[in-house]
Amino acid sequence: MATARPGWSRRAQYGLFFSFLAVIAGILVGLFLLALSLIAPQSFQSVRGAALDITGPVAAALHEVTATGEGLISGAGNYWDAASQNAELKRENKAMLQRMVEAKAIFQENQQLKATLQLREQTRDTVAVGRIVGSSFTSPRRFAILSVGGSDGVRVGMPVRSPNGLVGRIIDVGSLASRVLLVSDRANIVPARLLRGGIPVIVQGRGDGTIDVRPLEVGRNPFKRGDIIITSGTGGLYPPLVAIGRVVKLNDDGAIALPLADPSTTSFAIVEPPFEPTAVAAESSANGP
Amino acid sequence: MVRDALSPPRRIGQGPTPWSAYVPPATVVGASLLAALPIVSTSGWYPDFGFLVLIAWRLLRADPWPAWWAAPLGLANDLFTGYPIGFSIALWSATMLALDLIDRRTMWRDYWIEWVLAAVLITVDEWLQWRVAGVVGADLPFVKMIPPVVISIFAFPLVAWLVSRIDAWRLGR
Repeated sequence: MATARPGWSRRAQYGLFFSFLAVIAGILVGLFLLALSLIAPQSFQSVRGAALDITGPVAAALHEVTATGEGLISGAGNYWDAASQNAELKRENKAMLQRMVEAKAIFQENQQLKATLQLREQTRDTVAVGRIVGSSFTSPRRFAILSVGGSDGVRVGMPVRSPNGLVGRIIDVGSLASRVLLVSDRANIVPARLLRGGIPVIVQGRGDGTIDVRPLEVGRNPFKRGDIIITSGTGGLYPPLVAIGRVVKLNDDGAIALPLADPSTTSFAIVEPPFEPTAVAAESSANGP
Repeated sequence: MVRDALSPPRRIGQGPTPWSAYVPPATVVGASLLAALPIVSTSGWYPDFGFLVLIAWRLLRADPWPAWWAAPLGLANDLFTGYPIGFSIALWSATMLALDLIDRRTMWRDYWIEWVLAAVLITVDEWLQWRVAGVVGADLPFVKMIPPVVISIFAFPLVAWLVSRIDAWRLGR
């Protein structure tokens, strides 16, 4: 197909023509599949899951290697001035103990108050705990690959968090690995509120690792640098009271925040059951990857 | 031939590797599989390795594989990188077709023309990714796509060099 005229051979001419047709067919099939995957994202769930089962474990294995390497380097660094570190840690430990006793007292008080109010305690159990082993690194979308999958009980739509804060939600599930739509993806919109004052806000990713925060009510910009954003639980997709990010920069109608759970440094991610499963079912049928 | 006489004498038994016809598509799939590397990027500025290797092979040779192979290779890329399925199938097939049409028009080829062609193709690729992301609800300003485009364009010569080395190896030269 490279040269314009393949010569007088009828066979070569036909070959050229048919390969031309095959490429056109390839384009058409591709466009059809693309339209299908944009309109009905759930149609390729099993294929995408199978592909994740190929890449996920590879990424997990390589991740172990790099993590071990980093651990050796930072571990060696820790020995460097162990004496002063030790003293500092002892001091911190003492301070922490005091804080812990205070916290326990507050917890007990809280329990008693809740009992008097007859509030139902929401137990939040964990579906699976995995590692973030990879991510999309070429597209404008922000996905991460998580090392747990359908065999661990992970399902599409489940929220993912780390000890530091919200990571995102599951959008593709293989049996050994799954794909997470990160909070910093543009298509991920999280209902949230300010920890200070409880003003309701909307969080949307910016595609570059940061997130946009906008107040629901128009008016004065309520943000200050250093404000913590937490989930509100509205919509039922994400559980309430999970930290999302810290405001780093103000702009005209809101602020830019950095996610507290940085996927590149988060070691463990916890998959939780959907906060309100009916909302998740509606969401996952409405839109997907 | 004169060129043959000028080239260094070949050793006996040296020739194309037995699977040489399958090396180019294998390298493209391998480049798509780079998505399995444990890189957690928060900015998404890495180049689209599968596409870079594909156009590097196609610009180096007119027939690295039958043109319609671009469709299954694109499917593999979609699956491994997490693009919407069909995106790379359509784009890669269209790229093969476009480069075939360009091959008929161009009188000569040199390094700069290839780089410009690659730059145009990379920009089209990133622009389409941006459009598709916008359709799905991730409508970013296009300014955000400029760093990855520039990085990909500057990564192309490196990929092209690597591909030419692999080509020399597979043909036993």
